Amino acid sequence: MSATLTPTTAPGSATAAATDRGHWYVGGAMTLVGLYALVAFGLGSRTDDGAKAVFNLNLLGDQAIKVPDLTVPAGPTAIALSLVCVAVGVLRLAVRLTGSRRTAATSAYLVAFVAAFLVWATSGHSLNFTSVLNATVLAATPLILGALCGVLCERSGVINVAIEGQFLVGAFAASFFASVSGSLWAGLVAGCLAGGLLGAMLAVFANRYLVQQVVLGVVINLFAAGLTGFLYERLMQANPEYNKTMAFSAIRIPVLSDLPVVGPVLFGQNAVFYLTVILIAVVQIGLFHTRWGLRTRAVGEHPTAADTVGIKVVAMRYRNVILGGLIAGLGGVWLTIGLNITFNKNMAAGQGFIALAALIFGRWSPLGAVSAALLFGFAGGISVSLQPLETPVPTAFLSMTPYLATIFAVAGLVGAVRAPAADGIPYTKS
Amino acid sequence: MAKLMRLVAGVAGLSLFVAGCGSAPEEEESGTGAKASDFSACMVTDTGGIDDRSFNAASWAGMQAAKKSTGAEVQYVASTSENDYVPNITRLISQKCNLVVSVGGLMAEATGQAAKANANQKFAIVDSGSVPPNVYGMEFNTAQSSFLAGYLAAGMSKSGKVATFGGLPIPPVTIFMDGFYEGVQYYNKQKDKKVEVLGWNEAKPKSGSMANSFTDQGAGKRIAGNFIQQGADIIFPVAGGTGLGAAAAAKESGGKVSVIWVDTDGCESASQYCDVFLTSVTKGIAGAVQTTIETAAKGQQLTGSYLGTLENGGTGLAPFHQFDGKVPAELKAELEKIKQDIISGTIKITSPNQPKSS
Repeated sequence: MSATLTPTTAPGSATAAATDRGHWYVGGAMTLVGLYALVAFGLGSRTDDGAKAVFNLNLLGDQAIKVPDLTVPAGPTAIALSLVCVAVGVLRLAVRLTGSRRTAATSAYLVAFVAAFLVWATSGHSLNFTSVLNATVLAATPLILGALCGVLCERSGVINVAIEGQFLVGAFAASFFASVSGSLWAGLVAGCLAGGLLGAMLAVFANRYLVQQVVLGVVINLFAAGLTGFLYERLMQANPEYNKTMAFSAIRIPVLSDLPVVGPVLFGQNAVFYLTVILIAVVQIGLFHTRWGLRTRAVGEHPTAADTVGIKVVAMRYRNVILGGLIAGLGGVWLTIGLNITFNKNMAAGQGFIALAALIFGRWSPLGAVSAALLFGFAGGISVSLQPLETPVPTAFLSMTPYLATIFAVAGLVGAVRAPAADGIPYTKS
Repeated sequence: MAKLMRLVAGVAGLSLFVAGCGSAPEEEESGTGAKASDFSACMVTDTGGIDDRSFNAASWAGMQAAKKSTGAEVQYVASTSENDYVPNITRLISQKCNLVVSVGGLMAEATGQAAKANANQKFAIVDSGSVPPNVYGMEFNTAQSSFLAGYLAAGMSKSGKVATFGGLPIPPVTIFMDGFYEGVQYYNKQKDKKVEVLGWNEAKPKSGSMANSFTDQGAGKRIAGNFIQQGADIIFPVAGGTGLGAAAAAKESGGKVSVIWVDTDGCESASQYCDVFLTSVTKGIAGAVQTTIETAAKGQQLTGSYLGTLENGGTGLAPFHQFDGKVPAELKAELEKIKQDIISGTIKITSPNQPKSS
């Protein structure tokens, strides 16, 4: 991660500008929070009297291999995990860690802290951990697709804040065309195309008419919300047969889906999910290991240089923004026929913007964005699962945890990020 | 591919065309049947808009029904944000509306201020209390009907676990959850059972399950999925459109899980999920608005306030529809008995969110 900032640097690399005293502040804060965890989670009244925390590891249904519930004594476990936090904090205080060691220490700290919190919250109750993971994957899928769209657009130098709108039109088109044609695949294709169409609109206004791209994206979002809302009222509200509940059924991958815990979560989902997994690999490999990827990055970093070696900058941007639109459209497809939900006005509910956040926190890289999306999803899944456990933590606070977790993870693990140099700057030949 | 593209483009083009033509709103149609009246009632919607399938839509339906029966002129203005309340109300006053109807408790303050400044103007407000002398309040004690729903859910649950979640922790939402919770507790006391309520405990109102959205169906589905994994087999979502996600989760369970809908009869407002709706807790907004306008149009004074209860039918349980055969006759009889007991006051509902009767 120690990087020199030359034009060839990958965007998002942290600058190694940490001051010598930085690790004292960080270490001190980590130690204090660890001690707080020790007092609040380990020694608090919730974990008193040998209370147990039970973690169920099976989903309901015909799982071939059942794993026994994980039962831990809440008090001692929470104390042990909090002590790990304190130890990492002291380590950071004593030694100035760099690079992968620092990342490893911070990761261990975060995992131990979250685990201590979970044990404390579950104390005296039971929590279905596999269900949390499943909720994580379901919530993260649209965010991943939206973030991949963002990667394609921004890596080639076009800011796309219209992911929300692309979700909406994708969701609408998927539900409408699947209902009318009776074919889920027709719905999928239509949803992707609708997203792509909006992408094309963004590309034209950004590249041809040089409209300020953030403003443009906001306007496209409003347009998409208005259009789908209007069509919903005119077409779907009066005729429910244009908005049926339809969904891709789950495809259980033999053997793998029988694995305990992760099996049903990763290998028991539907086609849209598997398509998403394939897309992650395609975008990651494409961006960093193919000629197309190199050109895309060149166009996003230094379009003039790319132009002088004969890369068609504007054509590249058109192509990538439209491709990104197709992927964001798939995110919309997931929201309706991927989740077996009918279309409803404004149903994207801000997820396009969270995808945008995942893109930035993931440092404009596909895998980084996926991790960020999974983190958002996990925090959301946890807050949903903890709400019924009647913890002393107010619901309003629990609902805040996904965002809180993100801020800490970004501050602790990611550091300074840098956008592609030519992001948002239209290319014109002078 | 190209064909589909053309189709998509065609639909988009068509929509713009229809948008251009469809500028004549319904309120400009001339009165049907009833003789024209010079009485006019005007409504300000909340930010949900006229077609929210919830209280704005229901209020507008009541306005239109009143127009049919009295010939009164009706119209509405939509608020797109909370900042629109005051300008919208002011605009309607300047248009010489005889009665200004504001929809939603969030508009109470704006309405109260306008009422003070315009002492001769008549107002009515949905989901908020009266402010004498010129604001007529319409409120609904949905805790009563939710109590019945809770008792029904407890009686119908096979797993001994029922669940509820809300959209936001605000009184118009939590009143349903309180009533539901109390209904289950009453069942437990009567039958000596231990049916558990997931997601809400009236004594700990800070730690209930909330989706924090009235539109995010994905969130509703995840919350419901979590409840199902924990063993709940009847879910009571009080979260508007978000609740549709719970219905979707129930539908996927293949008949194991059912849902109790809120505000309107789910089999009418979200008919695609009718087969998972055990029943619905209804709120008679349309009827209340209609009666209010009819009263005002006849020139009678609007006095006191309206409180929808089980007794006057302002709130209640919708028909069981497809579950009609599955609900035991005994349970139906018990529900009827409880309803009478609530009306007579034998059963006291303690929810602090209930509107004060005047």
